[in-house]
Parts: sequence; structure tokens; C-alpha cells
Amino acid sequence: MARLLAQARFVIGALALALILAIAAPAVAQQPTGVNPNAASVKEEQLLKGLKIISGRGTIPDTKSYNLEQPAGRDWRQFHNVTLRWTGAIAILGMLLLLVVFYLIRGQVKLESGFSGRRIVRFNAFERFIHWVTATCFIILAISGLNITFGRSLLLPLIGESAFAGWSQWAKYAHNYLSFPFTIGVVVIFLMWIAGNIPNRVDVEWLKRGGGIVGHDHPPAYRFNAGQKAIYWSQIIGGVAIAVTGYVLMFPFYLTDIAGMQTAQMVHAIVAVLFVALMLAHIYIGTIGMEGAFEAMGEGTVDVNWAKEHHSLWLEQEMARTGPNESQRQPMATPAE
Amino acid sequence: MKSFVLACVAAIVVAGIAGFALNSVQKPADQAYSTTGVRL
Repeated sequence: MARLLAQARFVIGALALALILAIAAPAVAQQPTGVNPNAASVKEEQLLKGLKIISGRGTIPDTKSYNLEQPAGRDWRQFHNVTLRWTGAIAILGMLLLLVVFYLIRGQVKLESGFSGRRIVRFNAFERFIHWVTATCFIILAISGLNITFGRSLLLPLIGESAFAGWSQWAKYAHNYLSFPFTIGVVVIFLMWIAGNIPNRVDVEWLKRGGGIVGHDHPPAYRFNAGQKAIYWSQIIGGVAIAVTGYVLMFPFYLTDIAGMQTAQMVHAIVAVLFVALMLAHIYIGTIGMEGAFEAMGEGTVDVNWAKEHHSLWLEQEMARTGPNESQRQPMATPAE
Repeated sequence: MKSFVLACVAAIVVAGIAGFALNSVQKPADQAYSTTGVRL
């Protein structure tokens, strides 16, 4: 009898334990995981979502300092620290990779008919001057701008805090000050070359035939082909976008509030990294990508055969305007500078 | 090459003028964002 009672107690005890565990398990699963769902935190979250800016009171002249928290700033910080870095890295490194692969597959676009020794003026001194003002400024603006996005991650570990601080300070000065000659250059280029950059039917044919870049065809083109027109309009539209947003950032809060500043910075940065990627392609085709191309902007003249292969309609116009004997005869084509 | 050198010189000159103009228009943060009672 005593043994039977002991077995009954054991079974009842086991059932009770199982019941307690069964009831306790959901309670364990519902334990908080770091978030305290009390009224205070719920109100704070609602405040952050509902208000653009949480402000207090102050006494100093700068009323913007009264703003305690701007919840949208978190989105901007996420963009600046993560999205922009990925976008920039993919755009710039992707373009570099693309150009390397293209060069390895296609090689340099050669002058198939060879150098004739006769040269024709492609860009006059003023055009080259403006081009180089804009180009040199752009290169320094690009390097100093990329330093803002990538410098802390890539350069700081290499050169140390002191050198990085000094370099970044001068880079920022250069970025601000050289924006002015760059902007002037963009405006003058717009006015100087717009007549030759209006799209026309020849561009459609040029694009259909791969522009002579893909394959070995030589589709006709006037002074600027469809590829150059694409670069021109990208440079004008991108340059204006970069200049406007850059000056908004350079004169903080003159024209807009903090949300506008953040939007300006995002537009400035995204257009800038895409601009850098595009200009890498422009630099490639103007230097190692095409034989005889750099001379056009380096010394202002090109070989007549080069003009015949790449800008046949422009050569015809020039010959009709100046006569065939106006082109200079030179013993040998000069190498690219 | 001559155009390139001239372009570099022109860019530096314009940047210098811009720098001078900017520094005369904008005040340092310690002046722009504080009263005379602030000691920095």
C-alpha cells in the first residue's frame, strides 16, 4: 500500500512539473529582448516618427542650435556612411574594371589607314584652355571629394591621424576654391560647344553601328559624335547639378534648412561619383583607348586620316570651308603628350 | 602643353580670388555662432 502511494505521488509530481513547464514556456518566450515597451519609450518613438525636428530653447544667436534631434538625420547618416560608399565603390571600381576588360578584349582603337602626315586643326587654343581649366579642376575636386567619402576608411589607416587631418584640411580648401573655376569652365563649355552637340539623325546611325568602338566600322560623324555628345550633356547636366548643390553646401542654411542641406549633399555625392565614373571612360578613350585622339586636345591638331575615320562629315565641312591645302603637312605624326 | 599650363595658372588665380572673396563673406564658426559673452 505504501509502495502504491509512493508511485502515485511520483506520477502526480511528474504531471504537476510538466504542467508548470507547459505554462511557463510561453512566458519565457515572451520575455523582452532589449526593448522596454513602456509608455515613455513608445512616446519617444512616436515623437521621432511624427516630428521632423525636436527643438528646445536657447540663448545664443544661432537658433538652429536649439534643435535637439532631427530623426531624418538618421536616414541621411545611413546614406552617407553606407549607401554612398557602396554606390561610389561600385560605380568607380566597376567602371575601372569594365575599361580594363574592354582594353584587354578590344585593345586600342588603331588608326587603320595610318598617319598621313597632314594635320588639321581640331580645337583652337581657347577651346583647349577652357577644357584643361575644367579638367584639372575636376580631377582635384574628384580626389578631394572622394577623400570625404572614402578617406577615413582607406587613407587614415595608411598615413595616420596627423597627416590625414592636414591633408583633409587642404583638400577641403581646394575643393571649395577650385569649384569656382570649374563652374566657369562648365558654363563656357556649354556655350562654346552647344552648336556641335545638338543630337541629329547621324547620331542614331553612329550608335547603331557601335560608333567604331565595337568592331572596326567607321560610322560618319560631324565634329562631335554621339558618344562625345553624351559626355558633353552629362558634363553639363551633372556639372550644373554638382555646382548648385555644392554652393548650397558651401553656404550652409543661407538657402535651405537642415533637410534641404541633407538632400543637397545626397544629390551632390551621387552625381559626383557617377560623374567620376563617366569621366574615367572619357579619359580612357581620349588617351590610351584610341590612337591619335589625345593630340586633338594636347596640341590642337589631328591627322587628316584620323579625322577621315572618326569624323568624316566634319572633315568634309572643314575641307569645303578652308580648302584641302589648308591642312598642315608634317613629316611624322607627333606622339601624344 | 602651353594651353594646359595656362589653364592650371588660371585655375589657381580664380581659386585664389574665390578664396579671398569667401573668407571676406563668411565668418569663422566662433564668431558666427556665438555672442560676445562666449569665451572660446
